[in-house]
Amino acid sequence: MLMVFSAQAQNIKSKTKLATDSIVVPFFNGIIVQGDVASIASSILSKSGTYSYEGSAQIDLKHKFYPTFELGYAGADKLTTDNIGFKTNGLFWRGGIDFNMLKQKKDSKPTTSLLLLGLRLGMSSFNYSVSNVNITDDYWGGSTQTLNYNNISTTKIWYELTGGVRVEVLKNLYMGWTIRLKTLVSKNADGAITPWYIPGFGTNKSSNLGLNYTVGYKFQLPAKKKLPVKAIESTPVDKK
Amino acid sequence: MKKTQYIVFTLCLIAAFSCAVDESCRTNRSVLMDLGMYHVNKTDTSTITTAFSFDSLTVRGLKYDNAANKYVYTDSILYNNAKAISKINLPLHSFESTSAFEVTFNGKIIKTNTVTNKNDTTVYVNKKDTLTVTHQNMDKYLSLECGSIKIHSVDTILTTNNFIDSIRITNRKVNNINVENIKIYK
Repeated sequence: MLMVFSAQAQNIKSKTKLATDSIVVPFFNGIIVQGDVASIASSILSKSGTYSYEGSAQIDLKHKFYPTFELGYAGADKLTTDNIGFKTNGLFWRGGIDFNMLKQKKDSKPTTSLLLLGLRLGMSSFNYSVSNVNITDDYWGGSTQTLNYNNISTTKIWYELTGGVRVEVLKNLYMGWTIRLKTLVSKNADGAITPWYIPGFGTNKSSNLGLNYTVGYKFQLPAKKKLPVKAIESTPVDKK
Repeated sequence: MKKTQYIVFTLCLIAAFSCAVDESCRTNRSVLMDLGMYHVNKTDTSTITTAFSFDSLTVRGLKYDNAANKYVYTDSILYNNAKAISKINLPLHSFESTSAFEVTFNGKIIKTNTVTNKNDTTVYVNKKDTLTVTHQNMDKYLSLECGSIKIHSVDTILTTNNFIDSIRITNRKVNNINVENIKIYK
């Protein structure tokens, strides 16, 4: 019996030593729900008739892993200098994970800032129309043929490498930015009526850069262990 | 650390918004039927085919005049007395299935006589042939910046034989990728 106690005492000693080295982080630490301000700003400033709005939810696992789901709505209503029109709108989503690259320093206040690197898989199914495409015969002449391609449906898939920062500016209020390098997986077939703009991806080319400036709130589970501590603290106040 | 973060962020913001949308078309839009001219030199032992370079060449489009019931010249000349060429590129009708051209050849063929070992020169002056091409026309969408073009598939090509000996279709698809479609032999 004494042997067991001494062994336990040793265990406690070593555990207390460990506890001063690193903080024990719970597995689930809440969900950060974010809205993107940059896409609203770029939609207003856009000269090419594109708009995009998006939000995301990130689950905080051990302050290290952040499974992320992003949902948005984007579209374009564009007219080229040759008066060719392009219209689209649709929902898009991206799923993936972020990794927090900031390590908790020893003997310092625990930081709530995040330096995130991550991966995403994006997808959008949408309809689009291309209108007023004129074909003329410069040599032989003749009348002009006008082509309209209406309500073409397609699904595009892409992946993204992301990097970003989040800072807790007020209690549970997070702000930060994310840069994305987007690469289109779906290929454009030669001669196909390809969309000029893909919701969530941007203009249709092999790769695109994206930027988000997010404002978010972290919803946390009520801390069960802390409740009794608060109750104890509040008792002397009540007595007064 | 915070300062650098903000500098990086500001730079990214500028980069994201400063990208001007480029609306110019960078794809080749011209669809031309590519014809190569060849001379076949037959001897007892071998047949050598070489590119035929003309002294000068004139090509005009011919359109059918319903009132006059005959082919007449189009207003513009495609090749006007072009010097030292062995290839021509011709536009096909976008909205009709027959295109006709008149080609005027000026050139000479030098043959070495194997018996006398001397050069025999044959001179061709203003030899005219008419090429009649029947084809199908299809639309091809390029991009929003470039729009659509007409591409063609050559069905048949007929020629008169004032200068041309024979003609062969090597690639029926006439599009914006320049590939030789027709071989003309003398």
